[in-house]
Amino acid sequence: MNGKRILLIDDDPDYVYAVKMILEKANYSVRVSYSPKEGYAALQDGEFDLVIVDVMMGRGAEGIIVARKLKKDRELKKLPLLMITGIREQTGFFFIGDPRHETFLPVDGFLEKPVNTEVLLNKVRELLHSDQTAELKQEKQGEEP
Amino acid sequence: MSDRYTILIIDDEEVVRDSCSQILAKGNFRIHTAADGDSGLKMTEEFRPDLVFVDLKMPGLSGLQVLERINRFDPTIVTIVITGYATIDSAVDAMKRGAYDFLPKPFSADEFRLITRRAVEKRKLLLDAITLRHEKEVIRENFTSIVSHELKSPLLAVQQNLYVILDGMVGELNPTQKEMMERVKNRVDSLLRLINTWTDMTSIDVSELKKRFKPVDIPALVSKAVEVFQAQAAAKNVTLVTDCARSVEPVNGDEGTLLEVFMNIMGNAIKFSERDSSISIKIEGGDGELHVSVSDKGVGIQKEDIPFIFDDFYRGKVQASGAEMGSGLGLAISKRIINAHDGSITVESEPGKGSTFTVVLPRETGKSRTHGKEKVAEQFAIWRSD
Repeated sequence: MNGKRILLIDDDPDYVYAVKMILEKANYSVRVSYSPKEGYAALQDGEFDLVIVDVMMGRGAEGIIVARKLKKDRELKKLPLLMITGIREQTGFFFIGDPRHETFLPVDGFLEKPVNTEVLLNKVRELLHSDQTAELKQEKQGEEP
Repeated sequence: MSDRYTILIIDDEEVVRDSCSQILAKGNFRIHTAADGDSGLKMTEEFRPDLVFVDLKMPGLSGLQVLERINRFDPTIVTIVITGYATIDSAVDAMKRGAYDFLPKPFSADEFRLITRRAVEKRKLLLDAITLRHEKEVIRENFTSIVSHELKSPLLAVQQNLYVILDGMVGELNPTQKEMMERVKNRVDSLLRLINTWTDMTSIDVSELKKRFKPVDIPALVSKAVEVFQAQAAAKNVTLVTDCARSVEPVNGDEGTLLEVFMNIMGNAIKFSERDSSISIKIEGGDGELHVSVSDKGVGIQKEDIPFIFDDFYRGKVQASGAEMGSGLGLAISKRIINAHDGSITVESEPGKGSTFTVVLPRETGKSRTHGKEKVAEQFAIWRSD
C-alpha cells in the first residue's frame, strides 16, 4: 500500500471493476460507492486523498451535482476531484479543449472513458501530488505570520 | 386541451362590441371587449386571447398599430381586422402586419360566425404545430441521450476491462491471446467512435449554433487542425504545407464546430494520401468570402461517388489502404456545420491523382438571409413562443 485512499463514485459495476483493478494494482486503496448518496455517506465516515466521480449516474448528470456539492463544502473542497465521463455532449460541445469551468464544472481533472491505464495513473499521481504541494504551501503560509 | 377559446373584440363603437358579443354568446367562447387600442393591448398581454378582432379606424392607437403590437407580442394570436372602409389597399396593409382575415362593415351574423370559425381553426392549427414541434424536439433529445448512455455505457465497461487485460494486469497474455484481444479492442473502439460521431451529428442544432457565433481567426484554427494531425501525417511521411494570404479577416462563426470541419477534411486527406506525398492547404480571402482548400495527392474519388459523399453514412468505393473504415458521417456533419454558417463545401477530384476540398465561408453570416427576413420571421413565428 502506498497509503493513498481513493473514493470511486460510479454506478456501473462492470466499469468500476476495471478501474478499481487498475488503481489497486498501483497500490492505492480504493473504496467504491455506486451512487452519489453512497458517496456522500462514504465521505462522512471515511478519509480520502482523492475522489473520482462519473458524470452520468441515476437519472442524469448527477456527477456534476456531486462535483458542485463537494466544491462548496469547506472541508471537502480541499480533496482533489477527478471526473471521468463517457458522455461528451453533456459537458461541452464536441469536447474540444478542457471542459473544466470553475462554477459549471468545478473539478480538478477530467478524463474521457475508456481511460488508458497510464493516462489514468498519471492523472491520479498528478492530482495527489498537487494536493500535497497545496498542503505544504498552506502549512508554510500558516507558519509565516 | 380545453376547447374554449378566448376572443377579444377591440372596437370604439359600442354597437359593434355588443352585437359581436351577442352573436358569439351561444358558442363556447370567453368573450372580452375593449373600446380602444391601449386597453385592448393591455388585455391581450393580461390573458393572451386566442383571437382578436381589431377595428382599423379608432381614436388613439390605430388598428394597424394594434395589429403590429399584438403580432410582436405573440405571433400565434390570430387577428382579424374589422373595417368600414374596405379597400384592397387597407386589406393588404393589414395582412402585411400579420392579420389573418378581413371583415368589412357592415357584416351579417352569419358572416361573423363563419369568419370566427375559420379563425379558431387557424389558431388550433398553430397551437398543434407548436405542440408537435416541441414533442419532436423532446423525442430527438431523449433519443440522443438514450443512445449516448445506454449504448455507450456497456461498451465503455467492456473497453475498460479489455485495457486491464491487455496491459497484463491480470496475468501475461500469450501472443495469440494478445492478438485476439487487440482485435476485440479495435472493433469496440470503432463502434464507440461511430456512436460518438452519430450523437455529435444529432446534437447539432443549427439555431443554437448561430447563437454562439463570434469572430473566428480561421488561419489560427487551420493551424490548430494541422497540429493535431502532424504526428499522423509524419507516420506516412506526408508533408502538410500551409499557404495563407497575408491579411485574412476573421469570419463570424462557431470555433468549435469549424475546427471539427477542418479536422475532418484534413483527417480524410491524410487517410487517403499516398505515402511520401504532400497535402497543400490554402487560405485565401475573396469578395466578402474566405476560401480554405485542402488538396491531397491521394487515391481520389470515383466520379459516381462524388454526388453522394456529403450524404449520411455514404462511403466511397475506394477505401484508404490500411486505414480503418470510416463511419460515412464525417463529411455529412461537416456539410451541416458549413451550411449553418451560410457557407459551402465542395470537392474536385480525379481518381488516382487526388482530391481538393474547398470550404467557402461568408465574412458575415446572416447577410444573405436578410433578403428573406420577413419570410424567415414568418416561419419562426410559429414556434417562437414555445
